[in-house]
Amino acid sequence: MMRYLVRRLCLLPLVVLGVTFALFLLTQRLSPEMRASLYVKDPRQMGALEEVIRQHGLRDNVFKQYGRWLLNVAHGDLGYSPSANMPVAKALKEYLPATIQLALVTMIFVIVFGVWLGALSAFYKDKWPDVLARFISVGGFSLPIFVLGLVLLMIFYGQLGWFAPGGYSVQTDFIIHGPSFKTYTGFLLLDSLLNGNGRVFLDVLSHLVLPAMTLCIGSFALMVRVMRSSMLEELNKDYVRTARAKGLAEYQVVYKHAGKNAMIPVITLAAIQFIRLLGGTVIVETIFDYPGIGRFGVLAAQQLDIAGILGFSLLVAVLFVLGNLATDLLYTAADPRIRLE
Amino acid sequence: MAEPILQVDNLHLSFVSGGQKTPVVRGLSYTLEKGKVLAVVGESGSGKTVQALSILNLLPPGGHVDGGKIGYNGKNLLTLKPAALRQIRGKKIAMIFQDPSSSLNPVLTIGEQLTETLQAHQKISKSIARQKAAKLLTQVGIADAEKRLDEYPFQFSGGMCQRVMIAMALLLNPDILIADEPTTALDVTVQAQILKLLKTLQQQNGMSVIFITHNLAVAAQIADEVLVLYAGQCMEYAPAKSLFKNPLHPYTQGLLGSLASIHTKPDRLPAIAGNPPLPGEELPGCPFAPRCPHVLEKCRTACPAFVKKEGRYVRCFLQEGK
Repeated sequence: MMRYLVRRLCLLPLVVLGVTFALFLLTQRLSPEMRASLYVKDPRQMGALEEVIRQHGLRDNVFKQYGRWLLNVAHGDLGYSPSANMPVAKALKEYLPATIQLALVTMIFVIVFGVWLGALSAFYKDKWPDVLARFISVGGFSLPIFVLGLVLLMIFYGQLGWFAPGGYSVQTDFIIHGPSFKTYTGFLLLDSLLNGNGRVFLDVLSHLVLPAMTLCIGSFALMVRVMRSSMLEELNKDYVRTARAKGLAEYQVVYKHAGKNAMIPVITLAAIQFIRLLGGTVIVETIFDYPGIGRFGVLAAQQLDIAGILGFSLLVAVLFVLGNLATDLLYTAADPRIRLE
Repeated sequence: MAEPILQVDNLHLSFVSGGQKTPVVRGLSYTLEKGKVLAVVGESGSGKTVQALSILNLLPPGGHVDGGKIGYNGKNLLTLKPAALRQIRGKKIAMIFQDPSSSLNPVLTIGEQLTETLQAHQKISKSIARQKAAKLLTQVGIADAEKRLDEYPFQFSGGMCQRVMIAMALLLNPDILIADEPTTALDVTVQAQILKLLKTLQQQNGMSVIFITHNLAVAAQIADEVLVLYAGQCMEYAPAKSLFKNPLHPYTQGLLGSLASIHTKPDRLPAIAGNPPLPGEELPGCPFAPRCPHVLEKCRTACPAFVKKEGRYVRCFLQEGK
């Protein structure tokens, strides 16, 4: 197990180097003048282009430039992002908690209700709860995220005005950037509670509802299906018959015996979905103008903000490798056959 | 005459699949006596396992009770409410199964699986339940029981898993143990150990056992009475001694004849010609008629009655006239 962990951790730098170098190569397709012009705000300063190119060594060979970028990254300097108007490191630090918050709220909903509905559907196979669950999951599969997102926005914002887009309201913006609000973790839901500010908490939560609902739908549909088939398979196993023969109550047979086994594939799925949400809630964050790293990545890409793109990719690559590692660890926690062998 | 503890009376079972009903047990009756071992012998598909599963209402999906009665303690097990049946399952009537490794839950420790059985029926603390579980494990021949309680089924061999299953079944000192081919999935040497263990424990606890097997040699070792099932019908039901000494039914004779012996060395093992009828096949006469060496004309059109003869029962026209 330790050897496996070490091997996995050795993979981390390889993946990160691979991803960032590939992107770096791509950016070299742009001429040094184009790359330099990103940092020049005023057309009258165009004369200074050569100066910027010389200063940043944009005409150097690609390895030298990449090496310089890596060295800076090692010192915690990811460059300046013109699209976010702040250093890349600061932007990521500000936007990542919002995305994690959104992904967590989404996954809690997906896991709790997905597992419950999936188990229910397996237990009442071909009865009405099963039919309903299958209807929901087929519906969830066939509904594209961008359609659902826009429809929700139209109804709950446009018509009813219940939930607004964005990460928080203007009033909250004033409060959290005011002098009396302390930032402990960067997670607004948590920080607002720590500050004892219920209004901020509710405001942030209400801004999470629509994007979380939109993100849920696809993951939820898949979760119900996986849980249902996994549960159906387990309910037919010999040990379930043993559990019944012992005189256990039906809920113990279903939840403790079959459920524990059925959860193994579900855990993997949930972890994969969570990682995917962290790296790629791009569409939803864009639709709802949610201040997460997905939106940051999109803006950076649209404005050819090279430092931003590289920083975003670096973060997603690291999250991806670490997330997969965490998945494996979770998996071993759930299944003693893997843990002990 | 010992007192009866379980009475199966005219039991009819079938499987329903895709609207088609296939009878698998047809009019089975027997009596299990207190402290005795009844072996139910038959080929695959003869209905021996299904009839045993119906006792505790553990029929797989599609399984259906069409009629009959299973009397235990003045109650009919077939019509018992689920809650009342749970009181009997594991406590009064316990069961062990054919494939021990898949019959244990792979993600729960042995200790957990043993103690939960106790806790389902008694109000006892976890630590006392553990002590009791360890004691039982030692009793079924598992060394270092205290430590092994924290291990998982995959860390046990097949024979050891079956010992765990036996310990689990005996935790609450049940009146009846149903053993469904408990040695079939095991090595021959392990088979003998498990059989010996079962026999010892049965005699110690004065337990009644329904022992299901397709292996006549195994039945001969353990049984007081033997019931021979063929195509869901009982062909012969007799005390073990007289059955093995003097089998009355041609099917039983065929089964005994096809046993390999170390003393005779035939070129080919004798076998009963033909195959048993498929489930659901129409059987107007005796189900064994197509394969019977002594078949009569009437065997093909009418089914012989189950007649009592010298303290034993047999279903054959050849025996009716005698």
